[in-house]
Amino acid sequence: MKIHLQREIEQLKKNVFHVSSLVEQSLKLALRAVHESDSVLATQVRERDREIDALEVNVEEECLKILALHQPVAVDLRFVIAVLKMNNDLERIGDLAVNIASGRHCMGGESMPPAFTETMHAMGDKAQAMLRGALESLIAMDTAKARQVLAADDAVDSHYRELCEMLRGEMTRRPGEAQKMICWLLVAKNLERVADQATNIAEDTIYTVEGTIIRHGRG
Amino acid sequence: MQRRSLLWTFFPPVLAVLVLSLVLVTGFAGQAVRAFLVRDTGANLEHAARLTVSTFAVALAAGDEAQVQETCRRYHAMTGMRFTVILADGRVAGDSLEDPGRMDNHADRPEFAAALAGQAGHGRRYSTTLDHQRLYCAVAAAGGDGTPFVVRTSVSESSLAEVMRGALGRIALAGLVLALLAGVTAYLLSRRLRNALARLQAGAEAFARGDLGQRTREADSAEIAALADAMNRMADQLGRRIETIDAQRRELEAVMSSMIEGVIAVDLDETVISMNEVAARLLGQMPPRAVGRSIQEAARDPDLTAMVQQALSSGATVERDVRLGDRAEICVQATATDLRDGEGALIGALLVLNDVTRLRRLEIMRRDFVANVSHELRTPITSIKGFVETLLDHPPADPAETRRFMGIISRQADRLDAIISDLLALSRLEKDTESGGIERVELPVRPLLERLLRDLAARDADGAARLSLDCGGEVRAACNAALLEQAVGNLVDNALKYSQPGSPVVITCTTGPETVSIAVNDRGPGIAAEHLPRVFERFYRVDKARSRTMGGTGLGLAIVKHIAQAHRGHVTAASEVGKGSTFTINLPREVSA
Repeated sequence: MKIHLQREIEQLKKNVFHVSSLVEQSLKLALRAVHESDSVLATQVRERDREIDALEVNVEEECLKILALHQPVAVDLRFVIAVLKMNNDLERIGDLAVNIASGRHCMGGESMPPAFTETMHAMGDKAQAMLRGALESLIAMDTAKARQVLAADDAVDSHYRELCEMLRGEMTRRPGEAQKMICWLLVAKNLERVADQATNIAEDTIYTVEGTIIRHGRG
Repeated sequence: MQRRSLLWTFFPPVLAVLVLSLVLVTGFAGQAVRAFLVRDTGANLEHAARLTVSTFAVALAAGDEAQVQETCRRYHAMTGMRFTVILADGRVAGDSLEDPGRMDNHADRPEFAAALAGQAGHGRRYSTTLDHQRLYCAVAAAGGDGTPFVVRTSVSESSLAEVMRGALGRIALAGLVLALLAGVTAYLLSRRLRNALARLQAGAEAFARGDLGQRTREADSAEIAALADAMNRMADQLGRRIETIDAQRRELEAVMSSMIEGVIAVDLDETVISMNEVAARLLGQMPPRAVGRSIQEAARDPDLTAMVQQALSSGATVERDVRLGDRAEICVQATATDLRDGEGALIGALLVLNDVTRLRRLEIMRRDFVANVSHELRTPITSIKGFVETLLDHPPADPAETRRFMGIISRQADRLDAIISDLLALSRLEKDTESGGIERVELPVRPLLERLLRDLAARDADGAARLSLDCGGEVRAACNAALLEQAVGNLVDNALKYSQPGSPVVITCTTGPETVSIAVNDRGPGIAAEHLPRVFERFYRVDKARSRTMGGTGLGLAIVKHIAQAHRGHVTAASEVGKGSTFTINLPREVSA
């Protein structure tokens, strides 16, 4: 029975890693789609999202099966619960990546000041690094890394605020380009959401390892 | 199960054999002794009877039965035998132990009957008179009156039994001593064997620990010595084999780690068995951390995972281009094949990652180059063709208009000429570089740059005014003056062209231990980081709309790069958006370098 449970959990782990790698790649593709205004990449992101959705259902069913059949306790139970939750988060990030990829039209027309692209790049890199850190902390069950991810969220938030400020200024200067500014704002907002979801995953990792819930400033 | 010790394996059977043989020996010996005793006693009894018969005959002849009785008692006291004198009619005339008067008629006694028949009558039976088992011997003789009488002698069997008990007691004592001896022998034997086995065991355990240099010495018995010998040979063989395997593994590791391709091997459970350094670098992983983890965990790339799964399930080779890295900047040609053992059974999958980033970039560059060169050549030709056709089909009435058209045609032809001569210059440079380099002389750099400034001043006085030169007279470099002038000229042209009118452009020379750097710095808009690595590509334009109107051929920086390379130097670009750019040509100081 115990061996069965271990095998199921190993399989679950593999599937979660697969989903997470898909999500990570999806975000990567989405950011490239934005910066290179590439519609082929955007299509790929949508395809990936469908795959992620299918796998999400798969992972959830597996979790429920483990809970019903094996009634795990302690760290196994926490792992299954954490997977159930981060499964949701990962699927959300997949959706956000699709949203980001649809912002590929942002780059057309008259070019934006370089400071904008730079900030957007920095923000994309940070959000990606956070997602990667969260997934790595999940793989290695490394709470120190998970806490680094939590700390990095502030940097993304400040980038987001900075970009909002810049976009507002640009909008008043060039009202004709408002459509484009909104597009930029949406991409930035979605990136900021990705970072938030990454912190959720990191929190779930800490929950799995330590058994303490550190959401909502309890940490 | 509790196993018996060697001692307890040996002792009981040895003891059993001993006890069995003792019992048998005792049985046979007892019987023989008994038979001997009975015969011997019988003979004694007969001798005693024959010896005494004459005495009794005399007494009987005298008719003195009291004398007979007295003699019987006396003889009993002397020999311990019982003497009985029986008359022919069976009446007892004398007895050593009983009063003859009270004794019944002995005519029915078998020994009496045998004696009367003329033999010595031996018998062994229960004495009703004395109530115990006795041995008898009766001898007949003729009395004084011619009637026969019988002298009977007897002894109790209990005296025989005593002798027997004594003998058996000694045998039993000997048996006990033998059993003790057997125990000691079994103990000694087992201890000796046990010690030999313990030494062998210690040797085997040393082998198990990996200490194959250990040798078991055993000279006890041929069999054990042979076993020890076999074990030593086994250790030798094992040691050699392990060494071979070790060497092979090290070789394999060396091959794997010095391979250009990344190699990952996974087993049937999709767990990574081995990963070389290149693969780890491509995947942003640490090899020791990846081994033993699932491929999903180690590669963290859905495409690679899918490929491995496909190779495992179908047993076919899967090939695909995969992008890796944080910004998908690494282009990898991945091949997943099934991994089979010597018998052809599937044991996993092998993933080979070939980094083709540079190759793909070059391919893109060449594709772009062909597209660009066609485009660049086409623009002036379209223009020329248009105006020529207009002039041919609808000659304008106004000669001034004709002149204007001709002017445009001439300018476009100049542009074509400029592009083609730049392309030719490039191909010549490439050829020179390939065929062993250009002609270079060590000369001071400053006069060369001053000449450049003078030439510029003749063409563009404003531009020359913005230019400042920061170059010591002692700076010398190994260069081809004409080419270097062209390279620096191109950089200066660009700097002037792309920065605001009136903003300064500085040429700086610095000399290092082996190289000389000539840097051209402007305060223009700068170049974004993503464009910086590509500005030296042919026809690469940072801002596609703007630069063509500036009249460049798109080959200026490519020529600079090739000139630097022809000098065995290199060129770098540094820029900060909004602050300006610096292009630096680095050249060796000496021709030999």
